[in-house]
Amino acid sequence: MTLTGWGLVFAFVVFPGFIFTSTVGLLLTWVDRFVSARVQWRQGPPLFQPFADILKLLLKQTVVPAGASRVTFLAAPLIGFAAMCVTAVLLFYVNFFPSGSFVGDLIVLVYLFALPPLATILGASASRNPLSAVGASREMVLYLGYELPFLLALCVPIIHTGGAIRLGDLVLAQQAGGAFLTSWSGAIAAIIVLICIQAKLGYPPFDMAEAEQEIMSGVLIEYSGVPLAVFRLTKAMMFLLLPCFLVTVFWGGLASWWAILKFLAVAVLVILIKNTNPRLKIDHALRFFWFILGGLGILGVILAFMKL
Amino acid sequence: MKDPRIWGLKKSPWVYHVAAAACNNCDIEILELLTPRYDVERFGVVLVGSPRHADALLVTGVLNRKSLPRVLEVYEQTPKPCLVICIGTCTCGNQLFRNSYNAVGPYDRHLPVSAYIPGCPPKPEAMILGVVKALSKL
Amino acid sequence: MREAEAGLKQRVPEAEVFEHNPRRLYIRIPRERLTEAAKFLHRERGMRLAICTGIDTREGFEVLYHFSEDTTGTMYTLKVLAPKDDPRVDSQAPWFPAADWIEREMHELLGIDFPGHPNMIPLLTSDTDWDKSKYPLRRDYERRNEAHEQ
Repeated sequence: MTLTGWGLVFAFVVFPGFIFTSTVGLLLTWVDRFVSARVQWRQGPPLFQPFADILKLLLKQTVVPAGASRVTFLAAPLIGFAAMCVTAVLLFYVNFFPSGSFVGDLIVLVYLFALPPLATILGASASRNPLSAVGASREMVLYLGYELPFLLALCVPIIHTGGAIRLGDLVLAQQAGGAFLTSWSGAIAAIIVLICIQAKLGYPPFDMAEAEQEIMSGVLIEYSGVPLAVFRLTKAMMFLLLPCFLVTVFWGGLASWWAILKFLAVAVLVILIKNTNPRLKIDHALRFFWFILGGLGILGVILAFMKL
Repeated sequence: MKDPRIWGLKKSPWVYHVAAAACNNCDIEILELLTPRYDVERFGVVLVGSPRHADALLVTGVLNRKSLPRVLEVYEQTPKPCLVICIGTCTCGNQLFRNSYNAVGPYDRHLPVSAYIPGCPPKPEAMILGVVKALSKL
Repeated sequence: MREAEAGLKQRVPEAEVFEHNPRRLYIRIPRERLTEAAKFLHRERGMRLAICTGIDTREGFEVLYHFSEDTTGTMYTLKVLAPKDDPRVDSQAPWFPAADWIEREMHELLGIDFPGHPNMIPLLTSDTDWDKSKYPLRRDYERRNEAHEQ
């Protein structure tokens, strides 16, 4: 099935693009706050809370600081947002129509997932604020940190299917032969990708870029109103799409009824890791990603070559 | 038909804590308010790190000549609409600093205050009552 | 008699020691001998400067430098008196960083001069909205009668 014309617009805007992903993403942030509240033995916000947050932000004044680079400041959030809309379409399409994927679309997805951190860095650098500059540099270092083990982990399913860099091939191979997660190398790679998801989302223990107490919300310190709402929507959409990505590449794909439970399991794992860990320092995080997770990634690749 | 802007502000007030040279008693009570025991996230209250993200400013401390321009600047930086909530008797009136050479009068001489929560320091339950009353009057 | 007391009396014969209790000694010295006495207590007896205080009394401005002997838990306080018409005390800030801010505060609130202080700018009062010639902690400062207050 190919998407053209109005069908393509529908896919980008309504399903599975902007409206579907942002709504489900915001519901997932409610799940996050609910689970965090229960872990802390308290009640937690009502179901409509994330929607009230976004609505309120959309209707507040947008303040652009004097001396900030105005166009970059206001346009930066849209980069990450647009990237996530495209990612949603690509990911869901490949899962349900595996024959429609093209060579290299895994790499396209990796690049698309790199755009929201880039948008954050751009926006923070355009803010003309020393604290946001600190946040931007931390975000850059963190990105350099987690991208290495992330790519190593993504090599594992490629090796298992004999070199196919097409998501459709990965999905079909899992539907035929069992999820990659069940092999040793696949399990190691899945754990690495799970921790990298934690860092991509900017959740504890890797939230040093947006450290609330330490650098006063670092990267987002000067944002208010509509751009802030777009950043938060982007983060909500990432919270939906990154676990979907993990399930697609390692756990058999989204085209089955069990997929919802698998997806929720990954999301709840992310939330629990978020609630039980303090924040790392940026140099600790870099060492952790490069030496520990990178080492694990190399181990996973070696095991994959040995067909384990 | 309710104004959607007001509904959003009522259901999701993000607070920023402005400690203008207080004795820290009220500041400690505010920190206690934000702990899981009192669970203000039920009301949508979240502590934010930057005044630009805030809807409600929780101000503490007697306003003095040195902190006045700085508090005014924080108020200017907060996007409107925003509430100003005075915590503690020092902010509602000068209390025991009323004859001081440095105190420049209660906050409502300089800022539009939405709620007064007296107490030295006010209990977290009193603060929740004050915030809820201020929001219900919107 | 303690060693520190004996050593100090040897350096500054005009010192008068008042023992409030075995752990608290007040030593009154003339203000010209302050630097010498303070350096003796710090460098040769190993005491640290804990705090300084200033007060406006009938005889003049009293400035106290409190030294703590951490090995025994005793406080040695050096008291100097500056007359009201000439409130000057040699600044201890060049060799005691702890005295820096306290002397700034004493200068702006009591009006005591500290010649030799490296950075005498106001600490607590406002830079823009305060009359620098008024000293609130002096006994003759009446808030109701001061014209510069609203």
